[in-house]
Amino acid sequence: MQRVDSSGLNRLRGWLLMAVALIVWAGSPARAQPLTIEIIGGGANQIPITVLPLAGEERFAQRLSQIISADLQRSGLFRLGSPGSVRPFPAEPVDINYRYWKNEGAETLVIGSVIEKGDGRAEVRFRMMDVAKQSQIFGFSYLVSTQQLRLTAHRIADAIYEKLTGDAGVFATKICYVTKSDARFELQVSDADGYNADFILAHKEPIISPQWSPDGSRIAYVSFERRKPIVFIHNLADGTRSVLANYEGSNSAPAWAPDGKRLAVVLTKDGTSNIYGINADGSGLVRLTNTPHIDTEPNFSPDGKYILFTSDRAGSPQIYRMRADGEGDAERMTYEGSYNVTPRHGPDGKSFIFIHRNEGRFNVALQDIGSRQMQILTSGGFDQSPTFAPNGKMVLYASEVKSRGILAAVSSDGRIKQRITAQSGDIREPAWGPLSNNRRKE
Amino acid sequence: MRNIILAITLAYFLAACAAQGQKGADIEQRDLFDQQKAAQQSATQDSARQAQIAREQEELKRQLEEQQKRQQAAGQGDQAIVRPLSDGTVGGSQLKGDAWEQLKEAGSTLAKRSIYYDYNSYSIKEEFVPVVDAHAKLLMQNGDLKVGVQGNCDDRGSREYNLALGQRRADSVKRAMVLLGVGDKQIETVSFGAEKPVAFGQDEESWAKNRRSDIVYPGEPK
Repeated sequence: MQRVDSSGLNRLRGWLLMAVALIVWAGSPARAQPLTIEIIGGGANQIPITVLPLAGEERFAQRLSQIISADLQRSGLFRLGSPGSVRPFPAEPVDINYRYWKNEGAETLVIGSVIEKGDGRAEVRFRMMDVAKQSQIFGFSYLVSTQQLRLTAHRIADAIYEKLTGDAGVFATKICYVTKSDARFELQVSDADGYNADFILAHKEPIISPQWSPDGSRIAYVSFERRKPIVFIHNLADGTRSVLANYEGSNSAPAWAPDGKRLAVVLTKDGTSNIYGINADGSGLVRLTNTPHIDTEPNFSPDGKYILFTSDRAGSPQIYRMRADGEGDAERMTYEGSYNVTPRHGPDGKSFIFIHRNEGRFNVALQDIGSRQMQILTSGGFDQSPTFAPNGKMVLYASEVKSRGILAAVSSDGRIKQRITAQSGDIREPAWGPLSNNRRKE
Repeated sequence: MRNIILAITLAYFLAACAAQGQKGADIEQRDLFDQQKAAQQSATQDSARQAQIAREQEELKRQLEEQQKRQQAAGQGDQAIVRPLSDGTVGGSQLKGDAWEQLKEAGSTLAKRSIYYDYNSYSIKEEFVPVVDAHAKLLMQNGDLKVGVQGNCDDRGSREYNLALGQRRADSVKRAMVLLGVGDKQIETVSFGAEKPVAFGQDEESWAKNRRSDIVYPGEPK
């Protein structure tokens, strides 16, 4: 395993190098290829937690405690404790020998059980216990289809993550990305941990720029299947799709407005690449930029008021911000370096990530919109297409190792890194989906 | 029955290929030009007749597809649609023999189909001006001939920015040719951005090969 060595990382003391390789099999071989996730590094102050096997979980193919542990570990923010030597494992608070766990050094204990209901459903009970106080921090019971046990484990991990870090968990979210193997391109959707990968589109021409609709029900993307770039919107529930933009010249760079009803796209039908607004059904086309230069890669602010975009109007590609209706002057946001591209707002709207070239290296950088402070987060040479996790804590991006396309993730403070590779071929163009409906309502 | 369908299908493709003045054109190549070309042609000469033929072809294709669907649904075919085909004279004229030979003659300026660029640039460098000139001349001599110009980039940085840059590269070649007198409708530009590299190394030699515009004649592989 190649270690990531950025100066930012080396400065950190108390570094823990974790290398957890999870071989992720995506169902049957007929489905998408498995992904491998490696975790490189972790926070200096990891939160200790002990996740014990849930009573009865061994009856199911997917062991919930292992999924929960893997989620927490992958975040880099937790230190997983030993399961100890007491058997059977405690399933309810009365079963816990607190003195034993205190001696083991456990601070927070996760216990529970899975009870099969016989009708294809199961009850998953889990509790998070404070060992020092000998009391419950919180607990939930879920009644779910046995098909949803994996998702339930992600939801439990989300609940634990949220309780202990204060941020929303993103373990129960989806990602999408493009794989290229021989002459076949696939647009795949998987769980955030790489499981349940399946393709929604496959052909021999390139696919780029997938973007999730704000409610996660649709993905807009650019496909070259008709030998030119055309923007499609794909409905995930029924697999149907429609052409969003197919004008003369290039049609590309779709970006959803936060209301999910409108998008921005980039067209060359009137000359050079310019940004247009368009309804999700392809109607209501309005031109938003009008320059003889390249204007591309629009990205809406979470409040829908602004669009960040890339333009070479000052000679080199730089990042600008304009009002979402295109009125007024665009404001230049980046001044460091001669190549700053692919801006993406953070979920709080206060910062954005982008690709910054420095001495011939292309890296993911983060800039605060107010202070204009920039921080380079990665150390590879060919990073592309960054996408924020919906809680803003991680950035997923495409990179390259030994001329092979991989996905990598970095925490937005630059401390924690992951690498995700397909079994063979290239993997690229990631986009992290939104928090699920249930989560957003909470 | 299957033979009849096959014959009709074949006849359709032959007609479509001939319609674009392509000899032995493959199906892939057709896609770049298809509807748009038909539309462009209708705007020039003989527009009504060409539009009529295009409509007939569309109608034939549609009927053929419907027929195939019906047969698939029924699990058998018992009806053939037999329709007169157009005479296949739609579209650009055949290139004169000389021109074809020149296009293929090793070492000739016309055999050069690629214009290479500096990093993040779409200006045509001095050394490629003769290439652009030669193809422009050929196009002016064959006013019905249509070509594609495909813009490409090396794969560093942003795929979307590269797609835009590739479009500028292709457009810059078209603009230069139009300024020399080539008809605007004779050149169709498309960008493949960084998506169709010809060299795969991560080094300047490979990147330089990928920063290019290709002039593609009908009937040629892409």
